[in-house]
Amino acid sequence: MKRTARRILLDLDGTRATATLYDEFAPKTCEAAWNILPVTGRAIHANWSGREIMLHLEGEKVLRLPQEMKVRSNFVTEGDITYFYRASQMSRGKQLAYSAQFQRELSEFAIFYGSPAGEGLSAYDPARTPYKEGVHVLNKFATLDRPIPEEFRLKCEALRGEGLKPLTVSRYSEG
Amino acid sequence: MLAARLNLRLGGAEAVVELAERDAPKTSKLLLSLLPVEERARHAMESGREVYVVLGESVDIPEENQTIYQTVGDVLMYYKPSVFIEPGWPEYANEKPVLSWVYERDTAIMGTYGPLATNVVGKIARGLDKLQAEAPRMRREGFGTMKLSRL
Repeated sequence: MKRTARRILLDLDGTRATATLYDEFAPKTCEAAWNILPVTGRAIHANWSGREIMLHLEGEKVLRLPQEMKVRSNFVTEGDITYFYRASQMSRGKQLAYSAQFQRELSEFAIFYGSPAGEGLSAYDPARTPYKEGVHVLNKFATLDRPIPEEFRLKCEALRGEGLKPLTVSRYSEG
Repeated sequence: MLAARLNLRLGGAEAVVELAERDAPKTSKLLLSLLPVEERARHAMESGREVYVVLGESVDIPEENQTIYQTVGDVLMYYKPSVFIEPGWPEYANEKPVLSWVYERDTAIMGTYGPLATNVVGKIARGLDKLQAEAPRMRREGFGTMKLSRL
């Protein structure tokens, strides 16, 4: 019997959206992500990848997962939620906007809340490809349920001007 | 000839910009005519470590001293695709004139389909370290205003 799709809840500073896990497409990533929930942190807006906010995983929540799928251009789109890992020494320039953990290694959930998503520098930067285990890992593991609440989108966008906001990702079940 | 020098302020950080009047005379003249510029600072979401302000619609930036290989300390003027600035702007607002600067090396100014050529109108000659601390602080705590004026 097919299992009911697992869902997660994203609470960004009191504004909520839900997402459905890609259990069949990315089973290892989904299971690993599910097992560390709930995760709470302060989300920061992307500066390379378009309309994306990031939740850096820290301490015991850090995930170091294998690459689980092929990554091609235009891999991510509006609504996608990805797991991204980058080893230490693979960040270029200073990373002063991020936590000390991020400066050592990056393990994060990336939420693409609008368009353009995944474009810009990250789409054309050779140093970010190919995705290689232990160095760069990018797995798409969930998608925001449609319609994406407008209030949630606007809150994500607000991070660009207003700075970090609290984000909690937790397991979700209706009723 | 001594390069014209401008004062660049972002929040609590101050820096000095030297205009590239020899390599970009038309753009330098245009920028001088716009001073002082004081607008809400924004951070790129597609190009890396770039801070910019949106200039008025009537600003007409000539193509001059262009490169797609921007580097740390470059002060730029160009047209940024509006989709990278505000999500709700109407379709006809394809691009907006901007004044920007690059504060770290992992930066490449992007258009909607790839690298974007930008006019290099000046160089941050002093105070780059202050901006390199202030811009990330603002990313975390919220952006204030940027002001560019004659020194």
